[in-house]
Formats: sequence, C-alpha cells, structure tokens
Amino acid sequence: MAGLYALVTLGLTMVLGIMGIVNFAHGDFVMLGAYVTYWAYTLWGVDPLLSLPLSAVTLFALGIAVYKFGVKPILDAEEIEQVLLTFGISIILQNVALILWKADFRSVTTSYSDMSIHIGYVSVGLARLLTFVIAILLTLFLALFNRTMIGKAMRAVSQNRKAAALVGIDVDKTYLIAFSIASALGGIAGGLSSLIMYVFPLEGAQLGLKAFAILILGGLGNIWGTLIASLVLGISESVVSTYLPEGSGWASGLSFAIILIVLVLKPTGIAGTRGE
Amino acid sequence: MSVSIKKYLWLVFAVAGGIYPCIAGSSYAVHIGVVVLMFAVLSISFDMLARTGQVSVGHAALFGLGAYFAVIVFQKLDFNPVLTIFVGGVLTAVVAAGFGFITLRMRGIYFSIATICFAETLQVLALMARSITGGAIGISVPPLFGGNIVLSYYFILGLLLLAIFVVRIIEGSRLNFAFTAIRENESIANVLGINPTKYKVLSFVLSAFFAGCVGGFYAYYITYIIPYEVFGINISVACLVMPVFGGLYTVAGPLLGAVILKIAEEFLRTSIPYGHMIVYGVILVIAVLYMPSGIVGLVGKGRHENRFDVKLTTQGERKNDTA
Repeated sequence: MAGLYALVTLGLTMVLGIMGIVNFAHGDFVMLGAYVTYWAYTLWGVDPLLSLPLSAVTLFALGIAVYKFGVKPILDAEEIEQVLLTFGISIILQNVALILWKADFRSVTTSYSDMSIHIGYVSVGLARLLTFVIAILLTLFLALFNRTMIGKAMRAVSQNRKAAALVGIDVDKTYLIAFSIASALGGIAGGLSSLIMYVFPLEGAQLGLKAFAILILGGLGNIWGTLIASLVLGISESVVSTYLPEGSGWASGLSFAIILIVLVLKPTGIAGTRGE
Repeated sequence: MSVSIKKYLWLVFAVAGGIYPCIAGSSYAVHIGVVVLMFAVLSISFDMLARTGQVSVGHAALFGLGAYFAVIVFQKLDFNPVLTIFVGGVLTAVVAAGFGFITLRMRGIYFSIATICFAETLQVLALMARSITGGAIGISVPPLFGGNIVLSYYFILGLLLLAIFVVRIIEGSRLNFAFTAIRENESIANVLGINPTKYKVLSFVLSAFFAGCVGGFYAYYITYIIPYEVFGINISVACLVMPVFGGLYTVAGPLLGAVILKIAEEFLRTSIPYGHMIVYGVILVIAVLYMPSGIVGLVGKGRHENRFDVKLTTQGERKNDTA
C-alpha cells in the first residue's frame, strides 16, 4: 500500500511544489487511471501491468486539457479560487464516474494476484511488491528527471516565476509539462491500484485524502520525505487494522490523526522543508 | 442597482419568506422551504469563514458535529430539544476553536486539506464509537415541535435572520477590515498589526456555531441521523457551491445561491441520480473561471468589486511568497 500512496502523493506534490496549487482532483485522476486499466483488462484482456502506459497516456492527455481550460486561467488568482476550481473538477469526475460505472466495487484478478513471496518470516503479496518496486523506480526517475533541462526549468519556475521567464524559460510550457506529468503519474498509480484494491468511483477521494496526509507529513515538494511518509502511513495503517479490535474501521481515520499530530508538533513536516 | 431598489428587494424577500408557509399549500412545499432555509444558513456560515480567505471543503464536519452533539445531549441529559440545538451549536463552536487554533496558523491551503480530513475522520469516529453514536445505524430522535412543520419553518427562518444579523454586525464593524485584509494579503495584514490567526479562528467559530445549529435542527427535522449522511461530502459540496454561485462576501449571494440551487436540485434529483452533483461541479468551475463575483456580481456591482483592484497591486508579492 505504501508504494501506491507514494505514487499518488508524488503527482500531488509535484503540482503543489512547482505551481503552488493543491490539485483536489488528483485523487480522481488516479481513479480514472484505475478504470482505464480495469476496462482494458475486462474488454481486451490486457494485463494491468501492460496497460500502465495506456493509463499514463490517457491521463497525460486529460492533464493537458484540464491545464489549458481550467488551471491556466487561475494561475494568478487567489488561493481560494484555485481550491474551488480543482474541487469542482473533482466533483465532476467523481459523479460522472458514478453515473457511468455505478457505485460498484470492481476488481481485476490476474494470475499473479494471489501469489506471494516469502522473505524470512514476512510474506508479501506479489502485486503489492510490484507496486512498491514501481513506485521506487518512478521516484528515482523523478529524481533523475530533476537534473534534465526540463527538470531544471521546473525548479527554476517554482523558485521564482519572473526570474525564470527573464532567463528565457517558457513558464507556461513548463507548467503544462509539470501538470501533465503529474496527471500521468496519477494514471500509473491508478493502474497499479487496480491490482491491489477495488476499483470504484470514490477510490480517488479516499486515496487523495491519504495523499494529503502524506503531503503534510512528508513536507512539500520533498520526494524522499514523501516516500518515508508513505511508508509510515502504510505500515501504521496495517498495524492498526491487524492489532486493534475492529482495526480496519479505525485505520481509515488514521490519516487525519497523523495530520493533526504533525501540525501540532512540527508544522514543517518530518523533512522540515515546507515553505510558509 | 440603486440603494432604494435593493431595500425593496430585501423587503420583498423578507415578506415572501415570512408568509411562505401560509401560501405554500402542500406540506411538501413547506418542506422544500425548510430545506432551502437550512442551506441558506449553511451558505452564510461558509461565507463567514470565506471572508478571511479560508475555504472549508469539509463543512459537513461542523454540520455533523452539531447534529450529533444535539442528539446526544438530548438523549443523555434530557434537555428541551430546542435548547439542545443551541447547545450543539455552542459545542461545535468550541471544537472548532480548538481545531482552528491548530490548523489556521498555516497557509489557507493546509487548512482546506485539514477540513476535508476532519469531516472524514469524524465520520469514522461516528461509525466506530457505537455505544455513543449508534454506529452506521445512527440515532433516531423525536421530531421538533411534535412534527409541526410550519413551526420548524419559522424556527429555521429565525436562525437565518440571526445569521444575517451577525454578518451585518461584522460588516459594520472593524472586524470587516481585519477579515478583508487577511483575505487579500495575510503577510501585509500581519505587518499592519492584525493577528491573522485570532481573526481566522473567530470567523471559524462563528461559522461553526451556525453550521452546528443547522446540524442539530436537521437531526430533529429528519428525526434520525447516520454518519454517511451528516458527515457526507454532499453537504460539504452544497455548503461551498451555493455561496460561490451566489457571490461570496455578500449577504445576498449565499441566500440567492441556496434558494436557486436547492430548488433546481429538487427537480434534478428526480430526473438524473447524481446529476445535481455534476451540475454543482460544473457551476463551481464556471463560477471560478467566468463569474468570480457570482450572481450578485452579474446583477449589480457589489462592494467586493474592489477586491480585484487590490489584487493587482499585491499579486507580485503574493506569488513570490507562495513559491
């Protein structure tokens, strides 16, 4: 689960770090990615792992559209308007999904979804392990990507938009790329999520909430902080749901408890990098 | 729009609200009136908080808290139901003060995230703490005023008038300057000697009191509450779309938004399930992109016209702050 959480949060933190916008619709991008994978599997029998690029491309395209028509006009607007806009997109996506695909819980069953690997005394589901490995790989990829020209442009823009424009960086294009890549990451996360959990219209809202908790715990725009925070949340959730009576019910409230504790104790997150 | 026409419109609005149950005819029509008024109070409650630039995307948290507080106080202490509604409102305000003190110290965006998590967690709490809240089955209570729907109507109308009264007091006092300054630019407000956290918590507490009271009223009106309903996202969304659609930072905006959208929703609900939610989402996006001052801004030039002037001068600094 931790790997999935990390992937969902990566896209969120990318948009927030570079553009200064909290994308409330990110969780729903993840949900759409999951549906792409689900339908590719159900209709054409494509293995979820193979259809990951399809999810990514679909969401990349959606990211471009949302950026052009929704996000771009409000880049300079007040924070309150940015929150309202992305929240509005989230409501639309959720309810379109509810109408199209009903509130059913669907699942993808592959030949390897029941397999598990034993490492010492611990046994790990293969699908979960795969998710985790892909999450780590993508994180590494992002870390490397930061060193390319586009990555450098993104960091420059996030530090100071005007100065970046002055040295010849196309700010608009950089934002577009950042937003679409973040959406594509959401698509991949969604595709992987179909392997280890149910696919349903509100899964994005649930995952999004956890991603927010991780964002606050891990610190803004910090890739490694995100990874550690995802591990903390993923592990503490499974501990609570295993060892407490009725734990699985309580576990879903854990993300908020974490947010509250972090805000009280250390408002800068465990990595201590959040800009005030 | 001139001042006198505005006054007449208010008068028409007030009279229409006052005599509505007498001319409504069926009890279904009165029921719609009660629902519209409930959401009008919620919209105004949301707007109170929005005046300091804070967006609560989990307003259902306050609504649900009020509902559960009222019902639990009624069950355990056997108070008068009307009294418990206000007790619920006050308790909600107390919780909001604590929550606000922790979360309102930061940039608004983190507060928004915290509110949505707050609502979700309260839902989990209400589901799990079965001995107090009845879990997923919920709690049922006897109806208010022995089920007299017209009395209920006047009760919620009174609450609405109280909320409008409070907003008018805020608008006429120095609080208005503090709230607006914080909304436009928190750093500058801070430099000017306004303690942003203090005023943000104050607006959140006021907002919570009214949302909590509506929650309590809802519990007695519907006669049972379940966690999925009172802490649900639908209420949070409605609380936020209505004032934005009508026009933020005004009294008329949230009112108009609630009246128009709630009646429209009532028709849509029967034709397409979930349809009204999509409409809400679309309205939200369109309102933000094309009519940031809402309906009120389209009809007349509201007093918040100047917020764009201020924005132009502070934009550069603000963007650099956030980067």
